[in-house]
Amino acid sequence: MSIRTIQFRLGIGTMICSAFLIFYAIPNWVTSPANVPKIVLSPVFWPMVVAVFLALVGAGLLASARKFDKSADSISESSDTDHFAEYGRLAALAVLMIATVYVLPLLGLVWTSMLTIVALALLIQSRYPKTVVLCAIIVPLVLYAFFAHVAGVAIPQGIFLRLP
Amino acid sequence: MSFLDNIAAGLSLVANFESFFALFVGVAVGTIAGAIPGLSATMAVALTLPFTFSLAPTTGILLLLGVYKGGVFGGSIPAILIKTPGSPASSATILDGYPMAEKGQAGKALGMALWASCTADAISNLSLILFAGWLASFALKFGPPEFFTLILFSLTIIAGVSGESLLRGALSAILGLLLATVGLDLIYGTSRFTFDNANMMGGLNFIAVLIGLFAIPEIISLVWKPKSMDGKTRSLGDSKVTFAEYKRSFKSIVRGSFIGVFLGSIPGIGAAPSAFLSYSEARRTSPNKENFGKGEIEGVAASEAGNNGVAGATLIPLLALGIPGDVITAIILGAFMIHGLQPGPLMFIMNADIIYGLFIGLIVSSVFLFFIGSLAIRGFKHVANVPPSVLFPCVMVLCTFGVFAVNNNLFDVGVMFAMGWVGFLMLCFRVPAAPFLIAFILGPLLEDNFRQAMLMSNNSPAILFRSPITWFFWLVTFLALVAIVRAGITATRKADKSADPVETGMHESAE
Repeated sequence: MSIRTIQFRLGIGTMICSAFLIFYAIPNWVTSPANVPKIVLSPVFWPMVVAVFLALVGAGLLASARKFDKSADSISESSDTDHFAEYGRLAALAVLMIATVYVLPLLGLVWTSMLTIVALALLIQSRYPKTVVLCAIIVPLVLYAFFAHVAGVAIPQGIFLRLP
Repeated sequence: MSFLDNIAAGLSLVANFESFFALFVGVAVGTIAGAIPGLSATMAVALTLPFTFSLAPTTGILLLLGVYKGGVFGGSIPAILIKTPGSPASSATILDGYPMAEKGQAGKALGMALWASCTADAISNLSLILFAGWLASFALKFGPPEFFTLILFSLTIIAGVSGESLLRGALSAILGLLLATVGLDLIYGTSRFTFDNANMMGGLNFIAVLIGLFAIPEIISLVWKPKSMDGKTRSLGDSKVTFAEYKRSFKSIVRGSFIGVFLGSIPGIGAAPSAFLSYSEARRTSPNKENFGKGEIEGVAASEAGNNGVAGATLIPLLALGIPGDVITAIILGAFMIHGLQPGPLMFIMNADIIYGLFIGLIVSSVFLFFIGSLAIRGFKHVANVPPSVLFPCVMVLCTFGVFAVNNNLFDVGVMFAMGWVGFLMLCFRVPAAPFLIAFILGPLLEDNFRQAMLMSNNSPAILFRSPITWFFWLVTFLALVAIVRAGITATRKADKSADPVETGMHESAE
């Protein structure tokens, strides 16, 4: 992406974000008592100031995007890049992260971490499968030993197999 | 208490095995992490933070400071040997370090980097000891309006100089301020963007945001474009720096150290500009200026002195004013807060023993850095050969354990992942992450001081101009803005002239 494209997309995104904050998010998701004596002390005041500044920065980004030469707009990406595979891996990672959060209470942090390491290494297409499996076993166990037995943190153990 | 009493109190706090061991381990971990391409000093400090929870405050903070010091030096090892800076601060070291390595003088370049780093580190630490207390006593005169203007100034500088564009820096800082509003309002106790979720009522967890923003995007980038970071490691060659070479470079080292101290004490500027300024000053004044860029040992000395001179100085605004100078000091601020300590002028009165304990630890860290750095130079081959496809899955698990350990809360793990995607998008759109994090930390402070000032003045904004201190900060904020905008316009004109398409820097560091 060229600088011009970046500034332009950021500017548009920032303006939309600002409008969403001012017209929807702040009125609906920021609660303010009815009897605030001074507007500057209201819980709404600061988010509103931030939203207005966001709009100003968005306008600035859009204005500055115009200053960059159009010829700089060509996107120089190698033609052999497999975008489908790239975005597929990103989607898989997002699913892995969501699954981690939901599986954690069931399997516990240690077993989930072991699976996470293996799954992530598969996604990255690691050329060291044996080392990965070894790390997947050792790293979570060492971390468990430290946090549970040295730092005294109650590491979630899950409902299937419990560690000492 | 007198200065000597404070020193004695600090010594009693740190003169024990745990503190020195923590410092030693910290410097070692930092040096190794800095030497691994893909892991930065920032990520190393962030990942170490959860391990400090179970330690005494001084021991934990010394561990983090050790990682910081080690990480800054460690970054120069891959910069010299494989032309890949371990951190942006080491970019200037490549200019002469790599040509030296090509000439078979890698060991000499690394040796000089170590000597320059240790010398600059010592000068930086001494400056911290001399100036932080003085600044803190001055800061005792600060009230809410003064703090408001000071934080505003810090945010302006941080947003302006952290990235390549003021507007993108400002966007990052504003998003950080916005995220900081999540939680219960401090005056009325009403909810702001909490969605009736109890986990969000206290605001988002700082560690989850921090690790999400600085560690997870690197993992996402690697998954997006799995890449090999394997560089060819070289043999060290002639590894002895002679006294004559050190003496020849000494002037540049001292100058670079003071440049580092000066720039480091201003919040937001950081180590990379300091290293480049120190390098260019050394080149300007050197009798061998034509050798710079071709493998001049003085160039390595100057750039390393510049980036290490910052390391102690960034703690000056942190300890004296409670304002983090960069992302790493922001993480260290988080460590202080986790241990129930609030850096700032009052800490010099309430917890002088901890402050002086840290000073003593910092001086010892320079000595540790020298010994560990010498070993790291020889062991670099083993460190650099850790494959990213093995390292990064382990880093993700380390992040998950660390974030969970802060509050024993699985919600924070979700926040970390979400912030990881935010950080990844910021990386794609070249929005610097540092202003985001620092604004997220300073946001509540900015708002609270503003509201307190308004309460004090019965809603009159005139209070924000009540004293010479506030006028001073308004003036420097204005001057900084003018300077940053001018620099931005110049850069835009240059970019416009060259009109070169720019690749999205997916793997550029988030620092």
